[in-house]
Formats: sequence, C-alpha cells, structure tokens
Amino acid sequence: MILALETSCDDTCAAVVTDDGRLLSNVISSQEVHDAYGGVVPEIASRQHLQLMNLVVDDALKQAGVTLDDLRAVAVTRGPGLTGALLVGLATAKAIAVARGLPLIPVDHLQGHVAANFLVGEDGAPGLEPPFVCLVASGGHSFVARVDDHASFTVLGRTLDDAAGEALDKGARLLGLPFPGGPHVERLAAGGDAAAFSFPVAHGVPGLDMSFAGLKTSLLYTVRDLDAAHDGGAAARSADLAASYQHAVVDQLARRTVRALEQTGLDRLAIGGGVAANGPLRARLQDAAGTVHIPGRALCTDNAAMIGAAALHQPAADPADVPGLDVYATDRRSL
Amino acid sequence: MIVLGLDTATADTCVGLLSDTDGLPLALTRRHEPATGERPGHAEQLLALAGDVLHEASLTWGAVDRIAVGVGPGTFTGLRIGVSTARALAQASGCQLAAVSTLAVLADGLHAAATDRQTAQRAAVACIDARRGEVFVGAWLAGEQVLETRAVPPTALADLLAPLAVDGRSPVAVGDGAIRYREHLTAVADVPADADTRHHVDGLALCRLARYAPAADRDALLPDYVRAPDAVTTADRAAAANAATAAAAAAAARI
Ligand SMILES: [Zn+2]
Repeated sequence: MILALETSCDDTCAAVVTDDGRLLSNVISSQEVHDAYGGVVPEIASRQHLQLMNLVVDDALKQAGVTLDDLRAVAVTRGPGLTGALLVGLATAKAIAVARGLPLIPVDHLQGHVAANFLVGEDGAPGLEPPFVCLVASGGHSFVARVDDHASFTVLGRTLDDAAGEALDKGARLLGLPFPGGPHVERLAAGGDAAAFSFPVAHGVPGLDMSFAGLKTSLLYTVRDLDAAHDGGAAARSADLAASYQHAVVDQLARRTVRALEQTGLDRLAIGGGVAANGPLRARLQDAAGTVHIPGRALCTDNAAMIGAAALHQPAADPADVPGLDVYATDRRSL
Repeated sequence: MIVLGLDTATADTCVGLLSDTDGLPLALTRRHEPATGERPGHAEQLLALAGDVLHEASLTWGAVDRIAVGVGPGTFTGLRIGVSTARALAQASGCQLAAVSTLAVLADGLHAAATDRQTAQRAAVACIDARRGEVFVGAWLAGEQVLETRAVPPTALADLLAPLAVDGRSPVAVGDGAIRYREHLTAVADVPADADTRHHVDGLALCRLARYAPAADRDALLPDYVRAPDAVTTADRAAAANAATAAAAAAAARI
C-alpha cells in the first residue's frame, strides 16, 4: 500500500491507498482560516501545512489501521500549486521515504484529479476505466481532457485566465458573499432567475479553451449600474445576479465538455474538482454521456487519495534523485 | 549521543553530525552556499547533504538519536523546509527532536572559534538579513542571551548594540545581515571581513547547542518567524475602505 501526501493549496491531506485502488483512509484538514481573508493567503497556508502535516499523516495511518512498516512507497504532489505549500508536503514525503528506505513517487496534481476517477468509491462503487473525457473545474484549475490510459491524459481545452471556481469566488465577493464562493452563489442562485442578466460566455475563445476573467468584470459593471440606478439596487437583485452569473460559468463548462465528447466520440464522462459539487453543472451534464462518473465530494476537492491513485500508475523516482527533488509551481503542460 | 543538525534559515543549507558516543567520536559538516545571484538550494540540498554526512560516518538514519533544527529567524520558506524535514525524519525513525535559534548558532560559532580569551568575552551579535529593509538580530554573552531576538531596521542597530560593550570591548557582529548592513554596525561593533566563515551557520555549533537542549515536542516545533504573514482580512479591508470613505466625506464637508 501507498501513503500519499498533498499540500498544493490550502488543504493538508494524507491518505493510504491499496495496490488494487481501494481507499483505506483519506484525511483532509481544511484550513478555514483563509475564509476571513476572502481567499487563500499563501504564507498562511504554508504555516498551517507545517503545523498539521505530521498529525494528518499519523491520522491517515491510524484510520487505515497500518503503520509505516506496512508501506511499499510514499507518494506526494510535486506541482503545480503554491510553492511554499507544496514544499511542506514534498519535504515531509522525501524525509519519510529516505529515512525508511521507501521509494518516492512524485505525482502531478492534475494527474491526481484525473486519477480520482480510478478509485473504488467509499460506497463500493467501481472506479471508471479509460477511455473517457474528464472535466476538472476547481478554484485552481479548469480543463477538459481525454483520458486514454491510467498514467497520462491529453488536455483538449483549458482556461486561458481564471479558473471556474476562482470566477465563482470573485463573483461571490462582488455580491457580498463569503469565501469560498461556490456554495454561497449556488444557494443564493436557487431563488433567482438565471435568464435575468446576460453575462459573456467566452464565445470568442477558440476550440475547447475557456475564459472566465471577462465574467467578473461584467458582473462588476452590472452591480455598479444597478447601484447607480438606485441605492441598494444590486442587493435587491442579488438572487437574479447570482443565478445569471452561475449560469454563465456552468454554461461555458458544459458546452466545452459536450463538444469534447462530440469531438472524441467517447460516451463516458468524469467530472472532478470542487466545482463538480455544483448542482446546476451536474444537472446540465448528467445526460451528456452514456456514463457520467462523479466521485464523492471528498475525492473531487483536493485530497491525497487521488495522489495515491495516480501513484499506482506512475514510476518511482530514482532513489539517487529523491533527496534533490524540488517542487514546480506552474503546470508543466503549458510550458 | 549522535546528533544530526539541519539549518536552512539563511541562503546556505547547513548540516552537521556530532557524536560523543564512546568509541565513535564524530564531527562532520556540510554546507551548500549558493553562488552570487543563485537561489538558495534548501529543497534540493538538505536531505542530500544529511545523507552525505551519514554515509561518510557509515551510519544509517536509524542510528541518529536526535535531530537538531535551526528555527531561525530567517527566510520563511527555508525555515519550513528545515523544520518539516526534521519533523518527518523524527516521525519516520522515532528519534528525538531539538530546536535551536539560528542566531544563537551564529553567536556560539563565533565564541567557539575564538582563539583568544578576549574575543570569547565579547558579546556575540548575530544578524540575519530579514529583507524589506530589516535585520533579525540577537546577542549572546557567556552563553546568556543579552539582546532578545527581534526584527529591526539597520538604523536601529547602533543604539541597540552600544550598551553591549564589556569593559570597553565592543561586541562582534556576524551573519549575512552584518555583511549587508556593515556601515550601520562599524561604529559600535567589529564585523569580520565578508569572506570570514564565521558569517555562516556552522552545523557543528548547531549540534553542540542541541546536544544539551531539552527535547522538543514534534507538533510544537515551529519556526521562529518573528513576523506575522502579510494579509488583511476582508473585515479589516472593509473597515479601511469605510474609514477612507468617511475621511473623504469629512474632507469634502470642510471645503
Ligand atoms: Zn486541485
């Protein structure tokens, strides 16, 4: 079995995964401290990771009912993500691996989101086997990919600016809603009219790429115009604004995903990332393919189980290279 | 006892291995110093250098009784690499942990390197560049801390250090902060030449100090950041915006 660590953003995560893709534990320590700042503060995230990392590892081993003696390897997210945050997980994983003489398997965070679909669900539901189309939308990334095997994926389209979850967070802030914005926007939107306002859906963006940056600017102007028309004008229409804004985000994700299914001719779809929890997005895509696979929430948001799942199909680093391994902050596929 | 020391508070990556076990006296160090303009190599170097000293001593990780880590102050990211490595090594091997101030290590290195009694009797001032126009500073005399660790602008150093003269002998200041802000120090302290190795953290000095320090609780072992993170809460931001609006309104009312 494999111990996996993940600290790329603001969740301190450790998990134990068996060699046949079963999950023995999946500990996620969310740092709610960031909510008061309206977004993730990298330095605060890094400090929290350092405080929590060893305890989270202890917890993951204990919940799995195993010790370090039972492991065959240690896996860890190497990037992309926040450098200072990634370094805590990587330094910890390297030290455990080296001191224990265990192989270290470095894992790409995005490959982890894709691999979350391979895991047997907490309810015993089987994982999804390639080939399939995979949409990953979260506060940190938005892309649609073709997955042909367990070890890699091909990006078909990606956001050119903000991530979908980031767009929801920024929209939430403009509407005076707390961070993280997605669930709050969704709740407010439930009582609003999604057709009340028309926000841009990146028609000018070619292929399967996406763009969300123009959306928040458009919302900003709409809020300003409503408030200028009469005091409290935007607040009075907040449910309609939230519903229309959310619709614009969901519509773009759904259109790109449907087009990806058409282009690839595949009839299997997986959805991951924190935005996969969004009800309207699920509703839009539930009939988009013959098989629509959405892992449980704990496997959609950032977690270490998905890193362990990816590690089952990735090579271990050469032992001589392990002490010198460093993180990478940006997505290597875009380089 | 076999002590492995790790320090990543400065641009250097420093490792020491000290054993006073009968029949196995050891004193090994390794240091990676980034070239001018090069970034610190903490992430790539620390475990590799630690592995090197163990290999040279023909020891395994399991043979280490205590891991000592310099907790700064210094660069935040560097400190976290050192502390998370030390914590995880202890988690994996079950050895003890000890935390040591990196400023104390610099000061101890200065006193230990003293070849004459007079230098040993002068206050040792450790200065680490804190960036943003500040320096982390602390001072020791005869093993006692005589200036508490703090971050100050270099212009404040002269007033802080002047009282540390003993019998007319001014203190000696070392560290990358002492090199960078030499002109603020020369009136009240001696600063060795830039190339002097006493400006660098000595892994063996770290091990020596950690040898008799109390063992640290893993989950309480954290860097001495000195500074809070730069961040403003949404509430504070709103309050600041409101205050600005109120001030503008008050200014407008006066016109
Ligand atoms: Zn993610």
